[in-house]
Amino acid sequence: MLVMRPAQMADLSEVQRLAADSPIGVTSLPDDAGRLGDKIAASEASFAAEVSFNGEETYFFVLEDTESGRLVGCSGIVASAGYSEPFYSFRNETFVHASRELKIHNKIHVLSQCHDLTGNSLLTSFYVLPELVGTLWSELNSRARLLFVAAHPERFADSIVTEIVGYSDENGDSPFWDAIGRNFFDLNYAEAERICGLKSRTFLAELMPHYPIYVPLLPDEAQESMGQVHPRAQITFDILMREGFETDHYIDIFDGGPTLHARTSGIRSIAQSRVVPVKVDTVASGDAVKGGRPYLVANSQLQDYRAVMLELDWVPGKPVTLSLAAAEALGVGEGASVRIVAV
Amino acid sequence: MIVRPVRSSDLPALIDLARSTGAGLTTLPANEERLAHRVGWAEKTFRGEAERGDTDYLFVLEDDDGRVVGISAIAGAVGLREPWYNYRVGLTVSASQELNIYREIPTLFLANDLTGNSELCSLFLHADFRNGLNGRLLSKARMLFIAEFPELFGAKIIAEMRGMSDEQGHSPFWESLGRHFFKMEFSQADYLTGVGNRAFIAELMPKFPLYSCFLSQAARDVIGRVHTSTEPALTMLKAEGFSYQGYVDIFDAGPAIECETGKIRAVRDSQALVLAVGTPGDDATPFLIHNRKREDCRVTAAPARFAAGTLVVDPKTAKRLRLTAGDQVRAVPLSPAREGV
Repeated sequence: MLVMRPAQMADLSEVQRLAADSPIGVTSLPDDAGRLGDKIAASEASFAAEVSFNGEETYFFVLEDTESGRLVGCSGIVASAGYSEPFYSFRNETFVHASRELKIHNKIHVLSQCHDLTGNSLLTSFYVLPELVGTLWSELNSRARLLFVAAHPERFADSIVTEIVGYSDENGDSPFWDAIGRNFFDLNYAEAERICGLKSRTFLAELMPHYPIYVPLLPDEAQESMGQVHPRAQITFDILMREGFETDHYIDIFDGGPTLHARTSGIRSIAQSRVVPVKVDTVASGDAVKGGRPYLVANSQLQDYRAVMLELDWVPGKPVTLSLAAAEALGVGEGASVRIVAV
Repeated sequence: MIVRPVRSSDLPALIDLARSTGAGLTTLPANEERLAHRVGWAEKTFRGEAERGDTDYLFVLEDDDGRVVGISAIAGAVGLREPWYNYRVGLTVSASQELNIYREIPTLFLANDLTGNSELCSLFLHADFRNGLNGRLLSKARMLFIAEFPELFGAKIIAEMRGMSDEQGHSPFWESLGRHFFKMEFSQADYLTGVGNRAFIAELMPKFPLYSCFLSQAARDVIGRVHTSTEPALTMLKAEGFSYQGYVDIFDAGPAIECETGKIRAVRDSQALVLAVGTPGDDATPFLIHNRKREDCRVTAAPARFAAGTLVVDPKTAKRLRLTAGDQVRAVPLSPAREGV
């Protein structure tokens, strides 16, 4: 069974294996044991902390195959984007340059560096093994985070954002980076993202142009790559778009990838999930229930947070019946309650 | 040859002159109505009936047969009626010692900094007359006029030099920048500013600073550079004390050069003298000579020499100036010593 749970320090080498394969641009997963160790330590402290409003916490989850003990995915949430250093985005703006006399009316698209998304909670670090891409397990890896938010709203902001990795080619070159960032650093995109992962994005962002950028002056390839999703990030993008996230307002300042945002309370997995009492079926064996449909099921714990995906034949208003194995995986017993949402 | 204020009777000659210019002279458009309007303002200006913000000292170069072969002008003050725009070429530095990064990015800032200064403009000499002292007379007569009437002009005198464009009149700077915002040809935009339609600049141009790295290499290469045909004019003005202080034209990025009014050589070194008529002699050097009048201003260039507080010129020169011995003149050597004769 695949179970989502908080990462522990013992997971470090497995996490690094996942990080090594994650695409350039996922700077929240640097292939660096030191940084990943810090990330896990920060996460453990965050799950353990008593929190009444979102602050510096970062939550890092792993998806474990309980049979083999191997990790097959990971994901994270930063409670407050830009908590300790500014969080930069490009805001899409439109200026109308019009002359009544000359009958000219030009809409000019401008990118303005901003900190608008500071303080929002941030979904990060999404990765699943290639064989899980496109399967429902990807949904578990991404959306179980949202069930955690639903269970612990006081730990998160009213809005949630996420940066989707933007387009770069087979050589790791980003047309958007080449048109903008490269002028200011003389680093190629891969190198810049590596520095972002090892140091911080803010470190480089502070060296970026602070005046707004007139989009019509950028080369066509750069303009086309604005808001474009890297093929390997398409899955993350699609899942969150179905959750009700919006795009088009903000893009990443390095690769031009879209930055998605949503009101926390309006996110589908949060708005539509239900807390229901548990009945444990000690007779049936295995997870699947005939005639059921897939649900994400999570407990409401912190350090012992667990989420799984199950085929359930659940009737709204009634308790949910879990197999013994599922109940054990979730660490719940008869009479406890779980949060469930249809996949 | 004589430089004198324009008159409405010069209008047909002016239109012929305007038609012989190419793109790039924003202040001499081949538009009859506009030129007539301009001559009208110039006449008011020389009569002293215009406020400084509206003054337009438009001169013509006339040969001894009364033919108009060139024009030049001074705008008493730029930007007092409509905003006067330039780009200031500034610098953005992107640096991190830690990453061993250091990048200098020239950055263009839209500015009205040159507002209130006077401008040398509208210089045009018919191709057949680009010889001898004509070019220098036509241009520098303005400086002598400024020397005589400094109260009519600003603290600084500026001159916008024509920027780089190719044989077809295409400006690389315009192609890389202005075109995106105007969606029209350079020559059309140029014409519109020439006929006084400057407001549209403010309405259509980018207001935020522009990092030059977002412009084409060809555009970057011409920032602050003059058109080949304007190089002699630039050299001449530099010899008079003008210098490039980082302001360029917003359309073609040609340099706007400037000099403090009192520090222009022809202003600073000019002196009021009594005219003597005689034989300047073989050692006489070309002087720029002004009759010290405003409405009836006449300026010429001719060999002359100092003699006991007087300036000795030949009878023909005195006749051109419509002066006789004993009259007051203002004079200065036509060229600074190092520029040669």
